[in-house]
Amino acid sequence: MTVADTIKIPGKRSFARGIHPSDKKSLCAGSPVEILPTPKSVLIPLSQHIGAPCAAIVKPRTEIAIGDVVGDSEAFVSAPVHASVGGTTSAATVTTLPNGQHVGAIPITVAEEQPLASQGLWDDIYGGNWPTDSIESLDPKQITQAVRTGGIVGMGGATFPTHVKFARNPDKPIDTLIINGCECEPYLTSDHRLMLEAPEPIIAGALLSARAAGAERIIVAIEDNKPDAIEKMQSAATGTGIDIVGVHTLYPMGGEKQLIVAVMAREVPTGGLPLDVGVVVVNVATAAAVARAVLRNKPLTHRIISVTGEGVATPKNILAPVGTSYADIIEHCGGLTDSADRVISGGPMMGFALGDLDVPVTKGTSGIVVLTEAQTRKSAETACVRCGRCVSACPLGLVPTRIALAARNKDWEMAKRYYITACVECGCCAYVCPAEIPLVQLIRAGKAGLPRD
Amino acid sequence: MIPTIILAVCVMLALAGVFAVLLGWANVRWHVHVPEQLQHLMDAMPGANCGGCGYIGCSEYAEAIFHEGAAPDKCSVGGAAVAERIAEIMGVEHVAGVPSRPVVLCGADFDERLKRPEYRGEPTCAAAVMVAGVQGCTFGCLGLGDCVEVCKFDAIHIINGLAVVDYEKCVGCGACVRACPRNIIQMVPFHADAMAVVACSNLDPGKVVRGVCTVGCIGCGICAKLDDIFTIADNNASIDYDRYQADTDLSAAIEKCPRKIIRMEGK
Repeated sequence: MTVADTIKIPGKRSFARGIHPSDKKSLCAGSPVEILPTPKSVLIPLSQHIGAPCAAIVKPRTEIAIGDVVGDSEAFVSAPVHASVGGTTSAATVTTLPNGQHVGAIPITVAEEQPLASQGLWDDIYGGNWPTDSIESLDPKQITQAVRTGGIVGMGGATFPTHVKFARNPDKPIDTLIINGCECEPYLTSDHRLMLEAPEPIIAGALLSARAAGAERIIVAIEDNKPDAIEKMQSAATGTGIDIVGVHTLYPMGGEKQLIVAVMAREVPTGGLPLDVGVVVVNVATAAAVARAVLRNKPLTHRIISVTGEGVATPKNILAPVGTSYADIIEHCGGLTDSADRVISGGPMMGFALGDLDVPVTKGTSGIVVLTEAQTRKSAETACVRCGRCVSACPLGLVPTRIALAARNKDWEMAKRYYITACVECGCCAYVCPAEIPLVQLIRAGKAGLPRD
Repeated sequence: MIPTIILAVCVMLALAGVFAVLLGWANVRWHVHVPEQLQHLMDAMPGANCGGCGYIGCSEYAEAIFHEGAAPDKCSVGGAAVAERIAEIMGVEHVAGVPSRPVVLCGADFDERLKRPEYRGEPTCAAAVMVAGVQGCTFGCLGLGDCVEVCKFDAIHIINGLAVVDYEKCVGCGACVRACPRNIIQMVPFHADAMAVVACSNLDPGKVVRGVCTVGCIGCGICAKLDDIFTIADNNASIDYDRYQADTDLSAAIEKCPRKIIRMEGK
């Protein structure tokens, strides 16, 4: 690292505390993205984002083509949803997404003839040329509008509507755009594969996002357990002025607040947003979707999903249409093994255990992880021994044991005094707890139970 | 030489004497004057301190009546007897109201609810409600007993995975209503000893309800056709309790309900 580098990227490539779980990425980091054969039916949830749910704008029993708008909303913090396949709609129903949202959904029976399938689909989404020379002449407002129209939300899992991040606030100017390629969750490899197989749309999307948000500097941050992705991105970024930086492999590096500390040495205030320190963070898959929406005028309809874990027969990275059921995807990967015990939507640290596999994939589904009985087994919970391991793991510097036990006892005064709302639910505390106290789960339930005042 | 034990007893007695005089003097010197009427009010309270009246405890409710003229009929533990006594002390007229009791708007026990994977998390409803797919029905009772824990009168129990109110013991304080994270316990004015209840909160279309529950309301509207006290909104039937009288007879609807989810709740 030269002196010039340090001035450009002031962060130390790391943040305080955090944990080093076994990353298990070798299960499917080496398998190229496979295109899922078009499923027979999909179920498009009308809310796949944080914010106001969409209202359905298609009628039952109508022909619909891939990319047609299925639902939209007038609200600012919202994003439209689109048909991910061509076919015929049925009467609206409801579904419960893995994150607990109970939302309306439109079933689509897939037509036999699909204009885009297999390699053609890949070329349409990630392949081909991504010209970046005309980006400087685009109007930032137009880019933001195209991102809204394309229904783009944060694909790292939080599903925050991306156009909201790009909306400029004169009081809080943005100077830096960080493209998040950390993928710090164990097992998941979807972003890794995307960076290897389609770096060009990510670079184009990064330039477009920076133009929209008004950022002068673009930094792509990748954990240093993915040297091949760093190399690939570096060669794709040649001549664009984008910096590729390898950050330490430390969970939760992919968390916005931790990444901003590691790259920019700036601390996002408690209860604040990256915006408050002049930074916007965009996931690599989101950046690629931004490029497709703006340069090709195509909405977000497909995403790459890592189907992995010891409980799945053949771990794979899959390009699947939004709305495909988890059961269909697992089936395509050879089904569950006999020892499979728990299916998780997302990564094992922050994902959601599923009670039912008949739920649709959304824009934020980065992976499906299947754990075995031996991995999910827990010994009985014992009393807190005040060892302080959760305190030395918490990336936010909180005292998880205090907050969790206060939440369990419904001592809301105590929970608030120890900043329960600052918790990002990364799960480091529960991971390290030798007493097997479900710290993060208690904190999460406690946040929901906090009295409103 | 006086034996030590005698000395000790004498010292203790002397100390007791000194403190008795001190305390007696302090009692006179810093006497708090409680109006006689307020004292009577406090004596009339049942002393359960349950908070069902909306005040922190019995004495705060007594003060609210005395100072702010709060209504005399808010004590659900004491019921009509306490309300009459309060009205008598305050010299106001008391019109006997109808007691409110909670009803659980879910009628499916463990075996009647479908799609129930094994849940291994924190055994409270507040935690389980955050887990998608903890059971097929996203409206129904979770059966982990957050309501049981807050009930001071041992009047609600989980029976085969479903919260069931014991109306012999229930005083209607409403603690269970506030504790339920799914908001499926509702206070209902009990015009009779037993009231008809549509024991389902599911607002999903009938087809979805059939997939998750063997008894849930499918919003078919048969009850609404038989008696206009029923209304169907969001695929769910509900009863207009403002129009419910002591002699209201809904047995025809109870009989005809294809899901047998209209039930009599109460003593």
